[in-house]
Amino acid sequence: MATALRDLIKDPTAAELELVARYAMLPEDGRRERAFSAFAATGLPGRRMEQWKWTDFKTALNVLESPKGAPAADVLPSEATLTFRFTPKGLEYPKTLPKGLLMMARAEASAFAASEDLPLGAMTAALSGHKKSPGTLMFDVTEPIAERVHIVFEGAGEANFGRCEFLLRPGASIHVTESYLGGAGLTSALMEYDLQAGAELNRTMYQIGGTDEAVNVTSVVSLAFEAAYTQSMLAFGAQISRLETRLTHQEPKAKATINAAYLAGAGRHVDVTTHVRHGAPSCVTKQVTKGAVRAGGKGIFQGKFMVPRTAGQYTDADMQHHALLLEEGAEVFAKPELEIYADDVECAHGNTCGDLDDNALFYMRQRGLPEAEARNLLTQAFLAEALDAAPEDAREALLEQLQAWLAA
Amino acid sequence: MACMLDLKNLHATVGDDDAPKPILKGLSLNVPAGEVHAIMGPNGAGKSTLSYVLTGRDGYDVTDGAATLDGDDLLDMDPEARAAKGLFLSFQYPVEIPGVPVMTFVRTAMNSQRKARGEDEISAPDFIKMSREIAGKLDLTPEMLKRPVNVGFSGGEKKRLEIYQMMMLAPRFLILDETDSGLDIDALKTVADGVNAMRDAKRGMLVITHYQRLLDHIKPDKVHVLADGKIIKTGGPELAHRLENEGYDGVLAEAV
Repeated sequence: MATALRDLIKDPTAAELELVARYAMLPEDGRRERAFSAFAATGLPGRRMEQWKWTDFKTALNVLESPKGAPAADVLPSEATLTFRFTPKGLEYPKTLPKGLLMMARAEASAFAASEDLPLGAMTAALSGHKKSPGTLMFDVTEPIAERVHIVFEGAGEANFGRCEFLLRPGASIHVTESYLGGAGLTSALMEYDLQAGAELNRTMYQIGGTDEAVNVTSVVSLAFEAAYTQSMLAFGAQISRLETRLTHQEPKAKATINAAYLAGAGRHVDVTTHVRHGAPSCVTKQVTKGAVRAGGKGIFQGKFMVPRTAGQYTDADMQHHALLLEEGAEVFAKPELEIYADDVECAHGNTCGDLDDNALFYMRQRGLPEAEARNLLTQAFLAEALDAAPEDAREALLEQLQAWLAA
Repeated sequence: MACMLDLKNLHATVGDDDAPKPILKGLSLNVPAGEVHAIMGPNGAGKSTLSYVLTGRDGYDVTDGAATLDGDDLLDMDPEARAAKGLFLSFQYPVEIPGVPVMTFVRTAMNSQRKARGEDEISAPDFIKMSREIAGKLDLTPEMLKRPVNVGFSGGEKKRLEIYQMMMLAPRFLILDETDSGLDIDALKTVADGVNAMRDAKRGMLVITHYQRLLDHIKPDKVHVLADGKIIKTGGPELAHRLENEGYDGVLAEAV
């Protein structure tokens, strides 16, 4: 068995061998096996794969090691929320849940249909369930829930895997906040949101990781008739990080807002990748991604809108990615893609990368603002747009982090 | 009267280091406290360059001469230090600053200037009271002051917003760069009233304009004609009328 497993990945790195060993320790499970096989077909994704050419996990994550630093402090409001914590000791969760929200921690993996397209998602589906963590944490939301669900990934030594599946029944609604605080050599989450007719989700994510950590958050979102999905993210990256969202409009009149702000300092790599499929007519997607990168930091944006011939009619979609290179030696790579086959659609996109507006800077200094303050105010205003759709208290908390980063 | 703004033999170039283009070619001028001087001149004379040189914009290099405000060397200071010293430029084309509300911007500017001068910050209630009074005089609504600076403002609103900032910051020396451009008669009067309200014995002003029209509302003590980077003629308000009637060519020919 061990030898056969060893051969699953071609020319494995030390890290890949450790992932195989982790897989071998988990109970046998057909779905887990299928997910792992899909992952093993490529191993850790790297520069030879088009979708991963700028985010090379294979090279960056050579061995699985505990990082030097502790997890970062959580900044998203956690008071009066239903907090679920993926920690080194297993899953912590609230003792009671409100009416309309059910949680089930399953030892087994669920089927993961997107395994072929999302290698790190497949890896997470296969490896969640280590020790006291559930293989799949399932949420069933049957009505509008006033309390917020807060999900935290923190610490766990060499690696921390977790998978959550949300099913929002027709007319249900909920706010979910997610904090990815690092503290593990590899943190990898698989988040699945299935919104049925008329369901609404407002989701806010905060990610921060050390310069010796790898982070992956794979999100798979499915929207039914008139479902509304709002995603806001503030990401600081890690040695290498990938925050990928794959969203499908399954039925007409669904609406998606997918926003992100990324800030990459020295030694940090942030990759925001999104793939939106307009698989039904009259759906709306609004996407704003803003980035700011300092010397030695790297920002990646890959966005794709796929609008098929008949299904995608009357699509209304807008993709904006704008990044600031704050210093000499900052790097941003962007690949916006619109693949449109339907003929009656509105698809807009904008993609820029550069410095702050000199005219605005001079105007502000002429009014008395010192240059550094003028720069910070402009940068902050530039980035803040990407957080406008987050709930107010979460937005304030994230803006504070953003300001602190700019002032540092 | 003491000389407030003093420019001596100012030479300045614009453009990159490889091929700098001389624009100001020995400009001398002084404006005493309490006076309003107008600078008129044809296109390309160097009017806007003068305003940028005085306020310290990057890309405008002074190659010779001196510029002082109350005896302090302006050319040595950053733009923000000049602002804190009391120098204000009303822009010909006010710049949009997306995402920064007017009130936040002006309060940050005011407190930055106060800090640079070693003064206390203005309290929030005092600021709001002051803002309300000044905005009222300029027909700016509270809603407009919550919008990002100049974003979605019409040409006239932008100019009124410049005057609002001027009145809020109460600078000691004002430069108005083509403040009349893009204004209709009513807006011109509102703007001129705002500027006139700021005239006093301790404040100096330089009004840069193409046309006599603005000077009917803001009466200058002196009019200077700027051509090819130099002041070629100086006179009283009647000079502006002459220019309006005869055009620049006549005055230029006479000066040569």
